[in-house]
Amino acid sequence: MEERLNARFLKKLGSFRLDVTLTLGTEIGVIFGPSGAGKSQTLRALAGLSKPDEGYIKLNGRILADASKKISVPPKDRRIGLVFQELSLFPHLTALENVAYGLKCSDRLEVAAEWLHMVRLDGLSDRYPHQLSGGQRQRVALARALAPEPDLLLLDEPFNALDGPVRRALRRELKWLFNKTKTPIIYVTHDIEDVCSMADRVFFIRDGELAASISVQSLWDPSVQGAIWHSLGWGTLIHGVIEERSGLCWIVWDGGRLALRPTVRVEGDVTAFVAPHHVKLLYPNLSVDPELEDNVIEGVVAERVVLGGTTRLFVRACNLQWQVEFLNESYATMELSEGQRVRMAVRPGCIYVLGSASNSCTLGSCMETQFEQERSTPFSALDEKGETAYEGEDLDHRGSLRASPLARSHSDRRE
Amino acid sequence: MISSLVLSLKVLAVDVPLLLAIGTSLGWLLARRNFRGKEALSLLILLPVVLPPSVLGLYLLMLLGRLSFMRELGLLFSFPAAVMAPLFPSLPIMVQSARSGFASVDVGLEDAARTLGDGEFMVFWRVSFPIAKRFLMAGLALASARALGDFGVTLMIAGNIPGRTQTLPLYIYSRVESLDFAGANIAAILLTGVGVMSLWLVRRMEGAHGGAS
Repeated sequence: MEERLNARFLKKLGSFRLDVTLTLGTEIGVIFGPSGAGKSQTLRALAGLSKPDEGYIKLNGRILADASKKISVPPKDRRIGLVFQELSLFPHLTALENVAYGLKCSDRLEVAAEWLHMVRLDGLSDRYPHQLSGGQRQRVALARALAPEPDLLLLDEPFNALDGPVRRALRRELKWLFNKTKTPIIYVTHDIEDVCSMADRVFFIRDGELAASISVQSLWDPSVQGAIWHSLGWGTLIHGVIEERSGLCWIVWDGGRLALRPTVRVEGDVTAFVAPHHVKLLYPNLSVDPELEDNVIEGVVAERVVLGGTTRLFVRACNLQWQVEFLNESYATMELSEGQRVRMAVRPGCIYVLGSASNSCTLGSCMETQFEQERSTPFSALDEKGETAYEGEDLDHRGSLRASPLARSHSDRRE
Repeated sequence: MISSLVLSLKVLAVDVPLLLAIGTSLGWLLARRNFRGKEALSLLILLPVVLPPSVLGLYLLMLLGRLSFMRELGLLFSFPAAVMAPLFPSLPIMVQSARSGFASVDVGLEDAARTLGDGEFMVFWRVSFPIAKRFLMAGLALASARALGDFGVTLMIAGNIPGRTQTLPLYIYSRVESLDFAGANIAAILLTGVGVMSLWLVRRMEGAHGGAS
C-alpha cells in the first residue's frame, strides 16, 4: 500500500521519553496502549503542537518536521486534523460556525452545513456546544476536523466519555466517513473494542515507546500474536485450550478455567487477552452477579502500583499474574495491600480470544461495563443485578461459590 | 463646568482605546507567554495601585521634567499630560482583568484553532479575545471609571489650568476651595453616576459570563 505518513521521532518530556516510529497508508491506524504511555503526546507531536527533539515527520512526501534541519512546519500549515479528547469545541460559536472555523473558501457556511448533514446534525446548526448532547458534540468535533479536508486525521480517545450504543454508532460513522473521504486516520485508545472494530493497523505503545505495528488481521494470527501482546506488557494473557462442557465454552489452562461467551467458535490451543480494567474485584460480603458466577477467581495481591488517577494491582491467581486496574477512589473500603487475598471476576464477554478475528471482534456485552462508566458507579454490574439476587441468596456466598467449579477447586485446594 | 466636562470626555476618548490596547496586550503577555522578568514586569504594572497618587505624580514629574529630551517635548502641564496621567493608576486594573481573562481560556481551544489553520494572531483574534471579552469589558469599565476620576496624578503633572488641564475632579476641588458647593455638587453627582454605571456594567458582564459558558 502507498505510504502516506512516515514518522520517526524522539521527544523528551522531563524524565519521560517518547520514541515513535510509525508509517501509515490510506488506512485507519489505532495506537493502543495503557493510560500514560504517551499516546496523546504522539498526536501532539504529529499535529505540530509540540516539537520533536530528534527525527522527522513526513506526510504525503511533504516534510513537516525535521529536527536535524531545524524544520518544524507550524500546525496551521500541516493539514492535519485533530479531534481532542475533551473535544475543545469553541464555546462562543454555534455548531455551524465551529465546523466552518477551518474553512477559508467564500461559501464556507454552505460547506459547513453539508458537513453537518454528513454527520446527521441537520437542524442543530444554530445550537451552541453547551446545548448539544455528548454524542452530538462528538459529531461536531469530527465534522470540524474533517471539513478543511486534512491529509491526516488524528483522534485522541474521542469516544471515551460516551456510553455503549453511542460509541458503537460513532465508530460505524467514523468508518463510513473514512471510506468516503479516504483520509488516513490515527486513532488513539486504550479500549480493545476500538481496535477490533475500526483498525486496519495497530500500533502498540508502552512507556513512551511506539514501534511494533501490525495489521489487524495478523493481530489474530496465532503465530505472531504471543510476542506482540507480550510486548504490550499490559493486560493478562491466558494460554489455554478451548473446551465445551455443560453447554458452555471454556478456556482451560493449567491452574484454572474461565467461561467464554457462547458465540466463540474456535478450537484447540488459543491465547486470550483480558484488559486490566475488565477484571473486577468482588466485595467479600456481597453476592455475585449470576453472569459472573462461573468466572470468579481467587488470588493474592502481589504488587500495588498507583499511576496517576488509576491503581493497578498485580494479583497472583490460578498460575497467572493478573493485572487489575481501577480508579483510585474505587474499592476504598477494601483492604488491598500486598499479600492480601482477593476475589475477582471477569465477565465472559470481556475475554478476547486472539486468533479468531471474527469471533473476538463482535461487539458484545462488555460495552456496557466500560471503564469510563465506572466513574459514576464503581461497580455498576453488581449494583444493578445484585439487588435482585440479594433477596433469595442473602449472604449465601458458599452457594454462589459452589456454582463455580473454578472457585470450588480453589477452596478445595485451600482446605 | 462645561469646559471641564468636555475636557474630561476628551481625555477619556483617548484613554479608553489606549487602556484597551495596552491593557489587553500586557494581560495576554502575562497570561500566555513565559519570558525573563515576567514577574518583575507584573509587579511594576501593579505598583501604581499601592503608591499614593502624589508619589506617582512626583516620579512622573521628575521623569518628564528632568530628562532633557522629555522636557523638550513640552508635555508637562498641557493636554497630553492630562491624557497621560490617568493611564498610570488605571492601567493595572485593566491588565489584571485581561490577565485573568486570558488565563481562563482553555489552551486546548487555542490548540484546536491552530490545527484548523490559524496563525498566532488569528488564534488570538478568533478564539482568545472573544472568549475573554467579558473579562476585558468588565476591566475596561472599572479602569475607565478610575481614569475619569483621577485627581492626584493629573494635578501633579498636568496642573489645574481651567480650560486646558482642569478635568472634572480638579474642577470639584477648585469649586470647594472657593466655597461654591452648588457647583461642586453637580459635578460630583455626574461622577458618582458614571461610577455606579460602570459597576453595573461590570456586574452585568460577570453575570452573563456565568450563564453563557
